[in-house]
Amino acid sequence: MPRLRSRTRRPSLAAFLLPGGLLAVATLSSLAVFFPGASASGQTAPSHVSSTGNLAKQCGVVNLKGVTSVYGTGNPFHSPNLNCSGGHIISYGDSAIDYANPPASYISAGALLFAQTCSSCHGSRANGIGPNGAATIGPNLQGVGAATVDFWVATGRMPATDIKAVEAERKATRLTPQQALELAAYVNSLDPAVPAVPTPNLKGADLAAGADLFSLNCAACHTITGAGDALAFGTNAPSLQNRQVTPQQVAEAMRIGPANMPRFTGNLTDVQVRDVVAYVTEKIQHPASPGGAGLGGVGPVAEGFVALLLGVGGLALICFWIGERS
Amino acid sequence: MSDTEHEPSRTRVPMPIATLNDPHLGDAAKNPGRVEGIIAVVFVLGIIMMAAFGAAYWQNWNPWILGGTLGAGLFLLGFGLTAWGKYLMPQGPFVEERHVLAGSTAERNALSAALVERSTVVVKRRRLLGGLFAAGSGIFGIVAIFPLLRSLGPVPGTSFEKTDWRRGIRLVDSNGRPIHKDTLRAGNIVTVFPEGHQDDIQGQSMDQTVLIRVSYEAFTTIKGRETWAPEGYVAYSKMCTHLGCPVGLYEQQLQLLVCPCHQSMFDVTNGAVPQFGPAPRPLPQLPLGINSDGYLVAQSDYHEAVGPGFWERTTT
Amino acid sequence: MSDATARTKRQAKEALGPYGRVGQVVGELDDRIGIAKGGRVFLDKIFPDHWSFMLGEITLYSFIVLIATGIFLALYYVPSATEVMYNGSYAPLHHQMVSEAYNTSVRISFDVRGGLLMRQMHHWAADIFTGSMIVHMARIFFTGAFRKPRELNYTIGIVMLIISIFEGFIGYSLPDDLISGTGLRIGYSILESVPLVGSYLATFIWGGTFPSNAVLPRFYIIHVLIFPLILFGLIGAHLTLLVRQKHTQFAGEGRTEHNVVGSPMFPTFMAKTTGFLFMVAAASALLGAFAQINPIWQFGSYLPYKISYAVQPDWYMGWTDGVLRIMPSWELTAFGHTIPLEVFLPAVIFPGLVFNLALLWPAIERRYTGDNELHNLLDRPRDRPKRTAAGAAFFALLFTVFGASSTDVMANYFHLSLNFVLWAFRILFFVVPIVVGLVTYRICLEMQGVHGVGKRKRSVIVHLSEDGAYSTVTADPRPDDVRTELHPQPVPERIDIEPLVNGKDTETPKSSPTGVRQVTR
Repeated sequence: MPRLRSRTRRPSLAAFLLPGGLLAVATLSSLAVFFPGASASGQTAPSHVSSTGNLAKQCGVVNLKGVTSVYGTGNPFHSPNLNCSGGHIISYGDSAIDYANPPASYISAGALLFAQTCSSCHGSRANGIGPNGAATIGPNLQGVGAATVDFWVATGRMPATDIKAVEAERKATRLTPQQALELAAYVNSLDPAVPAVPTPNLKGADLAAGADLFSLNCAACHTITGAGDALAFGTNAPSLQNRQVTPQQVAEAMRIGPANMPRFTGNLTDVQVRDVVAYVTEKIQHPASPGGAGLGGVGPVAEGFVALLLGVGGLALICFWIGERS
Repeated sequence: MSDTEHEPSRTRVPMPIATLNDPHLGDAAKNPGRVEGIIAVVFVLGIIMMAAFGAAYWQNWNPWILGGTLGAGLFLLGFGLTAWGKYLMPQGPFVEERHVLAGSTAERNALSAALVERSTVVVKRRRLLGGLFAAGSGIFGIVAIFPLLRSLGPVPGTSFEKTDWRRGIRLVDSNGRPIHKDTLRAGNIVTVFPEGHQDDIQGQSMDQTVLIRVSYEAFTTIKGRETWAPEGYVAYSKMCTHLGCPVGLYEQQLQLLVCPCHQSMFDVTNGAVPQFGPAPRPLPQLPLGINSDGYLVAQSDYHEAVGPGFWERTTT
Repeated sequence: MSDATARTKRQAKEALGPYGRVGQVVGELDDRIGIAKGGRVFLDKIFPDHWSFMLGEITLYSFIVLIATGIFLALYYVPSATEVMYNGSYAPLHHQMVSEAYNTSVRISFDVRGGLLMRQMHHWAADIFTGSMIVHMARIFFTGAFRKPRELNYTIGIVMLIISIFEGFIGYSLPDDLISGTGLRIGYSILESVPLVGSYLATFIWGGTFPSNAVLPRFYIIHVLIFPLILFGLIGAHLTLLVRQKHTQFAGEGRTEHNVVGSPMFPTFMAKTTGFLFMVAAASALLGAFAQINPIWQFGSYLPYKISYAVQPDWYMGWTDGVLRIMPSWELTAFGHTIPLEVFLPAVIFPGLVFNLALLWPAIERRYTGDNELHNLLDRPRDRPKRTAAGAAFFALLFTVFGASSTDVMANYFHLSLNFVLWAFRILFFVVPIVVGLVTYRICLEMQGVHGVGKRKRSVIVHLSEDGAYSTVTADPRPDDVRTELHPQPVPERIDIEPLVNGKDTETPKSSPTGVRQVTR
């Protein structure tokens, strides 16, 4: 990824924060107590797991090593100090979203794929260090979590083709979804972290709650109709009306915060994330236009053009027909 | 001065009886019969469309069918009538004389004389009454404004300068959930309010604040604010200092808060100083603390008025 | 029928007079309100036929559409900010707490028969109303119709334009949705920015601090009662002055400063204008049927802490939004007070200058040209190059500033940086009016000097005579370009309708030898 152009001394700050933040997360994660999962090995701290539809209060933290398919549980974030009383904390472990890392069998295929496709920019060990010990163009990927890798590859943003671009854009990818998971499995195996790959269960989603959350959290960048727009310094918020955006990708983006998008972590429950995903994939991607042609959903500027050109212009043409021209 | 060179009389000059074959009364169309036929077809289609609108309304069909039939019907009937007027009605051209609006000098003087002489007679003789009536009108004019203006609303007072943030009050999101320091990862942004005020009008507008976790260590935005950003959390007023739009757009890598309305950009790590765009001042920063239970609290109210500029606003 | 009955019938018919029932009604009305003296004059009124004179009718008729659709909407809309649970049929709003205003607006869209069509027709008609008003004003300006004796009418028109812009702004803010609520927040901040009295203005007009529960009922009454009443009065005055002073006309054959040439009020003009009323209503209905406008259900109810990116006001407010974006962030603070110039200058001073320039233009032109004569003939724009250039520069500036309200959309569409687009508009703000003014000036001068501009060129036929000499002959105009035009004559007192009543309709002759002139296109 190219260095971001900016005006103040920020280049050093951004360059510090991103890998620094990821390293901090990785460090904290490695201090974590194991999260009790379905697998029998490695269970230490007792914890309360509920696989029913009700929200369960999770005390304890993520099992980072050897987490495979953990159905019905899924604290995607390390939180060493969850306060379980009084319902204060965002709860996980309900059936709204399943978090699962790709199977271990994918790791070797992923290693091969990584060496072919990604190592030139991210280093052979995905740590952002090149063969000479110099920093590579791509950042350190160790400790970003499987969901991050899956998102960037499955949406086609990676492998990047234009290294000078401010932000990698979604594009058609030659890598299949399976290959994305293989890469995710490999990168995650180097330094396991959260979040795991989410699969939202859209049945029973509350569209109204999703709409409300969307207008509070997402509309500020993606616009209220999800059309996307240009942001600061050449960055942009992509269009969510694009039907190639899958529910999984929306959930991943919300939890990982790719590129300049903020992360939505402890302030949104899995139910809330699932509701937003449902709203995006149902209503944003299939806008009903009961009033007629949607005019691109751009807003009053397009409406003004239509009113002036078609409305006033058409009527002026009728005037031209009715009256004289001298 | 009035135009005395051309004074057409107000009585109309009688013209002879026009016969029907006078071209001024004739059809403008080259082929009136064909035009009549076309207009007839247009009228018939218009009638059908109008009837269809009635049916569509009765049956509660889609808005586009309702509007399409109504619009087509109106257009066809209107087009037919206009075409009739343009092609088959007398076009003329006819001429009409303009009557001079202005009166003669004598008439103007008569009006001015009435105004000047009569008012002089009255006022000069009854000067006291004239003066008192003028004073009465003046005071009426002034006090008539009072109910129109003053009762409209309260005086601003300190309402533009004070929010509900106090020392020790917890930060809550829009659902009233307090924020524990361990629940957010770096790069997270939440809209927060003082606890108990997330549902009232004043709270939603004046108190709105964005909480961003920039990192996991305390940092200083500006000298003198060393304790304001504990454990990497920083909070700024969400009301843009330009025109009050909520600044909800956070770019994580650029560390910018961008106002969606007119694209002012604020530097999150540097006290929300505007880098670009029309905003004149940084977003006020809310001093944060962490209470003994680990929840984020405010240390005090904002140190300056939030939101756009106004006359009484003093800078600190 | 017996002889006796026939006689009585004939007697009864004769008793009615030569014009039958119509004459009887005219007589009864004349006895009571005296319509005879003015009525004939009214029906004989002449309307010049140029197409650009009908632009004001677009405005008038879209106003009628606004009243009609507005009455429908007003019967269902409730102007209250009280929170209620949405109880309509749109699923993504189920069980959401929204304001009563938003609730009723969405219910009109989905749960009232014909409601969505009426809402859309109302909004499209409002856009057409303001658009045609500006086009009409431009026609008045460029042809010099604002000169003596019509300065008062022009002033009334500009006042109506200002009121209509605010009426539209208030109107689309009534549904209390996220987009229009953001516009209200910006309006409140603009009021705040006025020096000395800004905060008082804001709290008085809004009834408190933003967002205030008082503002929706207040704006509702302004929108449906106060401004429409004022507009009714001003439209009445505008039309009365027009009738009294008579319409202007372009110079031409038989057209002088002292007459009006055209078609008569009854039946020709009435037919054309009534048909046009239907067509304006049709435009509004067709747009309302096939083009969605202001889909408030997608936006959600307004909350002061929510916002969408790429929010724009309606097009007639776009120019203020644009100038707010490009203004540099200059704020004056001194002696314990603040003047936010970055708001006050673009949002208060600039529109004030624009409107005042428009209002004062007749006086400015009078002073500059020293022309205090009555004018009933219009100028062709090219004959007044300085005025035309000034007007073109003015509109070009407004258009540039309107374009500046879409900086983010442009940056997105053309893949440019937002910063670059903004700086480009700051420069264009100054450069475009100057360039457009100069270019327009030169074009006008050129058009004045060119013979036969606007007419179709006629080919030149070259003859070669036997002794080798060349000569040229201009070809005849094409048959389609030649049309005959009659000399204007006064409206006849009577028309001999005997042939229609008693006999067959006589064929009107295709051409008449007298009073005819050839006009070439």
